[in-house]
Amino acid sequence: MNEEAQITEGTPETGTQEESVPKKEEQEEKAEKRPAVRVRIRRGGAAGDPEERFDAFQVETGPRMTVLDALVAVQSAQEPTLSFRYSCRVGMCGTCALKVNGRPAWACRTRLEGLGDEITLEPLTNFPVLSDLAVDMSPFFEKMKRARGWLEPTGAAEKAPALIAPNSRERKRIEPHIECITCGICYASCSIVGHDSDYLGPAALNRAYTLVNDSRDALGPERLLEVCTEDGAWRCHSQYNCTESCPKGISPTGAIKGLKRRAVSGGVRRFAASIFRGRAPGA
Amino acid sequence: MTSVKDPVTNKPPVWKISAWRSMYPGMWSWVLQRLSALALIVLFPIHVMNPYIDSVRITMLLLVVWHAMHGIKVILTDFGFPDRHQRKLLWVLCVVGVAAFFWLAFMHKEYWRFMA
Ligand code: SF4
Ligand code: FES
Repeated sequence: MNEEAQITEGTPETGTQEESVPKKEEQEEKAEKRPAVRVRIRRGGAAGDPEERFDAFQVETGPRMTVLDALVAVQSAQEPTLSFRYSCRVGMCGTCALKVNGRPAWACRTRLEGLGDEITLEPLTNFPVLSDLAVDMSPFFEKMKRARGWLEPTGAAEKAPALIAPNSRERKRIEPHIECITCGICYASCSIVGHDSDYLGPAALNRAYTLVNDSRDALGPERLLEVCTEDGAWRCHSQYNCTESCPKGISPTGAIKGLKRRAVSGGVRRFAASIFRGRAPGA
Repeated sequence: MTSVKDPVTNKPPVWKISAWRSMYPGMWSWVLQRLSALALIVLFPIHVMNPYIDSVRITMLLLVVWHAMHGIKVILTDFGFPDRHQRKLLWVLCVVGVAAFFWLAFMHKEYWRFMA
């Protein structure tokens, strides 16, 4: 039995707020183009409700309507028990991530336009499902902790504030990786996380990369060694799924490659130094 | 079988077409590079035993070029090629790979008995 076979139709719903006075031709165009979409939502799959199924709802669309708007419309008018998570609605908190037509995305920043007449919404891959579209993010944050994703201050800042010039090499290295809002999209898109549940994953390694490059951080090489392990940076296979899917345009793959480069160049330097001093490498 | 998904980690099963449809180009590059490696492992002993099977040789040439192009992509990005251009790099290398394949095949057409 295919779980997709069990589809229950929700009642058609007119829950969209139109703009106050839309232009006439605009309105006509809209009415022709996208009157309603069919939203298929994966339900169940959690311990309390193990039966996985897809429920389908008709949702009337409006201009600039997002996937999150559609979910709110379904929940308020058709299916009050539908579970999903959101907070800011403007792409700042990272709590609304789910899978839209098979690819992870933020519900609040994904417009219905261009998604087709039938939209499939599923909970994020690689996370345990709590209920419907809401997943348990704890494995993701556990790994953030394992990668020690926080600054360990050197203590120098107590004397004087650290100055990192905007055009310094350090700042330029960190800059493209700093805007992560821990939405878990990269983690959900990573096939290596799916394969190795101990793998730190793109976001934690991306965070580690920013800290390894940060002169205010006291852990330095220790941090590098902790994340460049079999279940850390070396596990990455350069598939670029995280880079392709990150809504913030971050490249965790690039960060992981940066960690690998640092680890290798540090090792080569130590090796060269040990030869220079006439000692066995690693001694 | 009521459910095809792992209830704990919620992984999409690879045997479902929907899982493949949503794959990104970089993932395709990786998958196809692995598959070309597996195919080469099978073809290589055949080629060693009889180096004059044209179909095997031309397939191997195609696979070797394909495998090499994606290897070059990983090497370049490992050594700092900017990640924001990785997709473009992939397409460029695909074009270079196809061109290299035809160039290698036609430059040595005296070796191909089927073209004689
Ligand atoms: S790196 Fe991007 S996709 Fe991953 S958690 Fe951060 S913002 Fe989300
Ligand atoms: S609701 Fe905050 S990012 Fe979507």
